[in-house]
Amino acid sequence: MVDFKKLRINNILLAKKTIREAVCEDDFIINSINNIEDLAKVANVLCKRLRQWYSLYLPEMYNKIGDNEAFVRLVLKKDKNTLMKELKLSETMGSDLSKNNLKPILALASRIDSLYTLRNELKDYLKKIMGVYCKNLLTLAGTVLGAKLIESGGSLKKLALMPSSTIQMLGAEKALFRHLKSGARPPKHGIILQHPLVGGAPKNKKGKAARLLADKLSIAIRTDFFKGEFIGNKLKEELKKRLK
Amino acid sequence: MKIFNKKFPNIFLNKRKFYTKSSDKTSFFDERIIVEKKSFFREWDSKRSKLAAALSNGISQIGIKEGSVVLYLGASHGYTPSFVSDIIGDSGFVFCVEISPVVARDLVVICEKRKNMTPILASANHPETYKQLVVEADIVYQDIAQKNQVEIFLKNCNAYLKKEGFGLLTIKSRSIDITKKPKMIFKEVMKVLEEKMTVVDYRTLEPHEKDHALFVVKKK
Repeated sequence: MVDFKKLRINNILLAKKTIREAVCEDDFIINSINNIEDLAKVANVLCKRLRQWYSLYLPEMYNKIGDNEAFVRLVLKKDKNTLMKELKLSETMGSDLSKNNLKPILALASRIDSLYTLRNELKDYLKKIMGVYCKNLLTLAGTVLGAKLIESGGSLKKLALMPSSTIQMLGAEKALFRHLKSGARPPKHGIILQHPLVGGAPKNKKGKAARLLADKLSIAIRTDFFKGEFIGNKLKEELKKRLK
Repeated sequence: MKIFNKKFPNIFLNKRKFYTKSSDKTSFFDERIIVEKKSFFREWDSKRSKLAAALSNGISQIGIKEGSVVLYLGASHGYTPSFVSDIIGDSGFVFCVEISPVVARDLVVICEKRKNMTPILASANHPETYKQLVVEADIVYQDIAQKNQVEIFLKNCNAYLKKEGFGLLTIKSRSIDITKKPKMIFKEVMKVLEEKMTVVDYRTLEPHEKDHALFVVKKK
């Protein structure tokens, strides 16, 4: 007769230990990139609200300043008169709000500003840990794209075991399976479209650029995973030469 | 509350829904609990559990009975294993194998509450890694969505299933090959299984699960 009681207690302890030890850099990277994306989403929604609210006060700002982050900073730092001078406005359609009514608008702006600072801090943190964990990938792909690749692949180990054509298709699963099922045209790129060399390529060269980048990314990831030397800059130059 | 079928002990039916008799009234997954004559019955949702789906589709035999030792591969959060542990009672035992540490956190919490369950964090693809943590089982149940799920099942049956023990295998046809029709894949799986085992019964799990099937086999 097997002693199930003892076996059960041992196994639970062992499982807890395995769960505790399973935490690694991949988890930090995946959590911070997810947070960065969600923070950007929330900040954008709130910023739209701020723009509408602030338009009661100074409507000309709405169209003149496109960037959300710059808009929030300007609202916080400068008052109405200096802003009108900077935008070269002689008069405005906005009404003069009393201090009481202006206060909640500024409070909202300062909260959004803190969201942006948090996002930037997270990006710095991500860059720091990726600089140690996967330096080649960081150099070739950049902070956000590199982290997103790890997030959609699952971990650096899983990415290293993937063929480069799979890395090219990461993030385009819907289109890929549509192609496999019904014979529609295959996708050329997934999330690596966000790379400036692929996204900036002319339309008929996008597929080629994506394929080449995926090849180089695959080499970089494998070098990182097996703790090889730093070859990121060399790979980047080779890529640029091919894409001329 | 009435007994569902004499062939399946400890499974009850009430208003077209399955229930199992539980020792305590804690609800781990927000399932409904009915108290009747001082015993607790937990509702078993066929939409969440493939074993319950197979039961409601009229499978003829599952082999799980009071006192069985079950090796459960792909336990996930532990929804189906908790009901299996209800069926086998205090004299049986369930080994829950799961690879992902994230979902295994929930599994460990349930295993601490139930006296006849234990978690094992290992890959079912390599049965030799948990050789010392399990014993020979009466039943091997597998619910893993991998391309080589049949191969994994046969490996584990070879290593840990008793002679004339039952094996229950759920097949997700979409993770084997997305371009082929599910019916064709089920046929191929049947062929592979028949070479080494006796196939007792098989059911597709429509409408509870799309493109899934559950095979019941017996080791020769």
